[in-house]
Order: sequence, then structure tokens, then C-alpha cells
Amino acid sequence: MTGGQLLAEAARHLPTARCAAEEGTVTMDVPREDWLAALAFARDVAGCDFFDWLTAVDEQDKGLAVVAHLYSIEDRQHLLVRTLVPQDDPVLPTATSLFRGAGWAERETHEMFGVVFAGHPGLAPLLLPAGFEGHPLRKDFPLAARAAQDWPGAREPGEGETSARSRRRLVPPGVPEGWPPA
Amino acid sequence: MVAVDLPLPRRQGETEAAAFPAWVRVFDAGLACCGVEVSAALRRCVSLLPGEATVNVLVVAGTVTDKLAPLVLAAYRDLPEPRRVLSFGACANSGGPYWDSYCVTKGADQIIPVDGYVPGCPPRPEALLHGLRLLLGAEGDRP
Amino acid sequence: MTFIGQERPGGHAPVPPAHGEPGPAIPSQGLAEPVTAGPGDAGPASGGLPALDLDAGHLPPRSRGVIGLLEENCTVCMLCARECPDWCIYIESHKQTVPAPDSGRPRVRNVLDRFAIDFSLCMYCGICIEVCPYDALFWSPEFAYPEAGIAALTHEQDRLRDWMQTVPPPPAHDPGAPTPREAQAAGPGTGAAG
Repeated sequence: MTGGQLLAEAARHLPTARCAAEEGTVTMDVPREDWLAALAFARDVAGCDFFDWLTAVDEQDKGLAVVAHLYSIEDRQHLLVRTLVPQDDPVLPTATSLFRGAGWAERETHEMFGVVFAGHPGLAPLLLPAGFEGHPLRKDFPLAARAAQDWPGAREPGEGETSARSRRRLVPPGVPEGWPPA
Repeated sequence: MVAVDLPLPRRQGETEAAAFPAWVRVFDAGLACCGVEVSAALRRCVSLLPGEATVNVLVVAGTVTDKLAPLVLAAYRDLPEPRRVLSFGACANSGGPYWDSYCVTKGADQIIPVDGYVPGCPPRPEALLHGLRLLLGAEGDRP
Repeated sequence: MTFIGQERPGGHAPVPPAHGEPGPAIPSQGLAEPVTAGPGDAGPASGGLPALDLDAGHLPPRSRGVIGLLEENCTVCMLCARECPDWCIYIESHKQTVPAPDSGRPRVRNVLDRFAIDFSLCMYCGICIEVCPYDALFWSPEFAYPEAGIAALTHEQDRLRDWMQTVPPPPAHDPGAPTPREAQAAGPGTGAAG
């Protein structure tokens, strides 16, 4: 089905979904409780038989966004299904009942972001070495090397080994406010 | 891992009787992109004729991730004497572009003793030959 | 995998291709004799690939081998150190008051105490060279500077100046290229070369 038809069908089957269509891609935002329903709709109604990937985005205050990319081979239609889970309760039902291929993707999302996929047959870490603590792709995960190392760019022009540190503390680009903790 | 007998290139004027070995046995631990450059160097210089290789060189070419580090250590442990280790590329030298990553060992010398470092990201294939010459005492290599 | 000291199990060594005949297409059955240094030409024994050139003489323009520093152009603006993604540029400086000739106001300028690039970390992205507003950093195609100790891969000011001698002149503009803005601003008679 085309993007337009997909939007119409989604409005019928998933009244809580907010959809947007661009060239060849439909993005569908659903609340957490409709996650499995949205994936089932994608597979059974919209004809998206190809599960491409599943991952998460740390939206910080808004929570953790879990994104799945599905594709209809026959209609050449991309579908991005998104939902939001809160940081303190990052539980989502597993997609493996609908798409077997989601198994490893959910394992990786679990170890990198801490999202718990209820009903997953084996949510063990996939890529990280044994004994790794923390969820590295969350935005509040500190990069130890950057905290331990002094940034060479923190010096002002005209500042050297012996001169006093300037009062203005520069941070490298991309570092969030208040990091590293003093 | 590939083990390849490599004739060490000589400069014009260096005689066959120069003090450094004529042949080395290169064990290429091609972990990432630098492995492609090492392959490019080895593929042009390799001979299947049995050489009189007298030194084993482990070339660590690529990013040493925390998960792979035990295997690099095992490869070094299994390397018979006389042996040397050449760190090839920025990642193997110090972590390189991934110096701040959560899962990268910041340089092969964190886990095994390294005898030579070849800078580059990635270094040219010819840089591997320079690195091997440095490792084996071909003094004329430093300009 | 056979190690040194073990005999090769059975078999005879493969016969290398006769001189002048093209080698087999399979990689690793290339040369039968050691490579000698010097500018090479594509030979049949190397499987059609150009022989390796141990020196940087024949590399294409803008090849990225090492970075040289022209100290006179550096005003210690710190942009290269700040933009470097690897944090591998170390700069120290101090301020110096320069009395002006006549009765002018004395000027304050930055004097470099230390400018070092740690090439064990450098990923040769070129951001420092692109971002430098005063053209103090240059690419050089030299690539042969391995070291036995990793500390020696941090090149200090004097070594970075030595690399400047290996920086090639910039390649000529393409024929038919539009005049660069800098030449246009400088007025007629300074058009693109070539």
C-alpha cells in the first residue's frame, strides 16, 4: 500500500498513533501501551514484512524513545514506529513474538540504554564485555577518558604552564553543562 | 590471523650482508581498517618460497576493543621467540580516534609489550615496511 | 601454522613465474625476490601492482602524511587545540608586551612556549589545518616516522618546523577554474594559475 493508504489504515486501526509521511517513509509515534499493536498493524495490515532494526534514543527529560524500522519489500514503503518509555520505568513488551529478528536488536538496546523488553527469551548482553557496568549510550553516561584528561583547549591564548588558570572554565564542544563534576 | 614470510626491503646501497635480518615472519592481527593496509603491504611482498625467517613479528593493526583484548594477549603469549610486537595505526598506538570510548583499550601497549609504533590513520602500506625495518634495527630508516 | 624451527610438512615450494611472464592472479604468489627500494614501476612479477615506494616522493598532491607548523604565522588563537577531536594538540604560551616604535601604544602579543602534536593519537582528519585562520599548519606527505617509544611520537615545535621543509607547494588550480575570491579581491592581474 502507498504512504497515503498507510496513513488512512493507521487512522482506522490505531487511533492513538500520530503519523507523518515523507518521501517513501511514514513515521508513526504511538504510546507505550500500543507498541505491540502498532507492530502487528505494520506486519499484518501495512504489509511491512521486513524487520530492519530496533534501537533507542535518549531523549533525556522526555524519556527513552524506542524506534523500530520496518519495510515493505513489495510496496517499497518504509515505516518508522516510535514510542517513549520513562527513564525510571523503561519497560516495553518484546517484539520477538512478531518479528524473530528483533531478538538481537533488543539485546543490544537493553545493554546500551537499559530498556527492559518484557517477555524476551534471553535478554543477555550482546556486544559489551562481561562485567561492564552501566548503559553506555545514555547521555548521562560519563566518558572516563574525557573526565580524566585535561582538555588542551581549555587554556586561553597566552596561558601556559606557569600562569594562573583563567576564571572562565571552558568546556570542549559537545560536553553537557556541569560536566565533569568538580 | 595470517602468518606471512616477508622479505625486508632494502634501500639502494644497503648490501645483503647488512646487520638486520633478511626475512621476517609477520603475524598480522588485522583487527580493523588498518588491517587492510597491512594486507596491501603483505600481498605485494610475499613469497611462498620458504624464507629463512628468524624473527616473529606480531603486527597489531586496528582498534583493540576491550572484548578482543584477551585474544590479542593470547596471540602474543602463543608467539614463539624471537618475537617482536609492532603497533600499527593510531588505534593500536593509543586508542586513536576512539581514545574516549567506553569499550576500547587505549593502545595495544596496555596489555602487551610493544617494540615499535607506526603512526597513521591508517598508515600507508609502505609505513609498515618502515616500521618493520625500525623494529629489526635497520638504523638507516630514521631520516 | 608452522613456526620457526618446525619443518614444513611435505610438498615442494611452488615455482615462481619465469622472469617477464605475468604472475598468477592469486594474491600472495607475487614476488619471488625481495623488493628493493626506489621508485617502482608496475612489473609483471608484482601481479600488475606498482611496486611499493618506500619514500614519499611520488604521492599525489594534498596527501596526508604528517603536519608541519609555521611558527611565524601562529598567533596562539588556540582554535586548532580546541577543535581537535582527539585532544592531541598541546599549546602553551605567554603574553609579551611589545613596545611600539615612535609613540604608539605598546601591543600585547602571544608567544608560543610549546606547540606539540601527539601523532600517536592524531587521526589525520585535518580539522586543525582547515580551522587555522592564519595558515600556520600544513600537510606534508611524509609518512615514515615510526618510533620505538610512544613518547617520541609527540612531535615538539622543532620537529614540526622540520616537517615544513617537506611540505609541497600547493597544486595548481584546475584549468578553467573560476578565479578564487582572494584573487578577485586583490584586483586584476592576479587570476588563477594555469
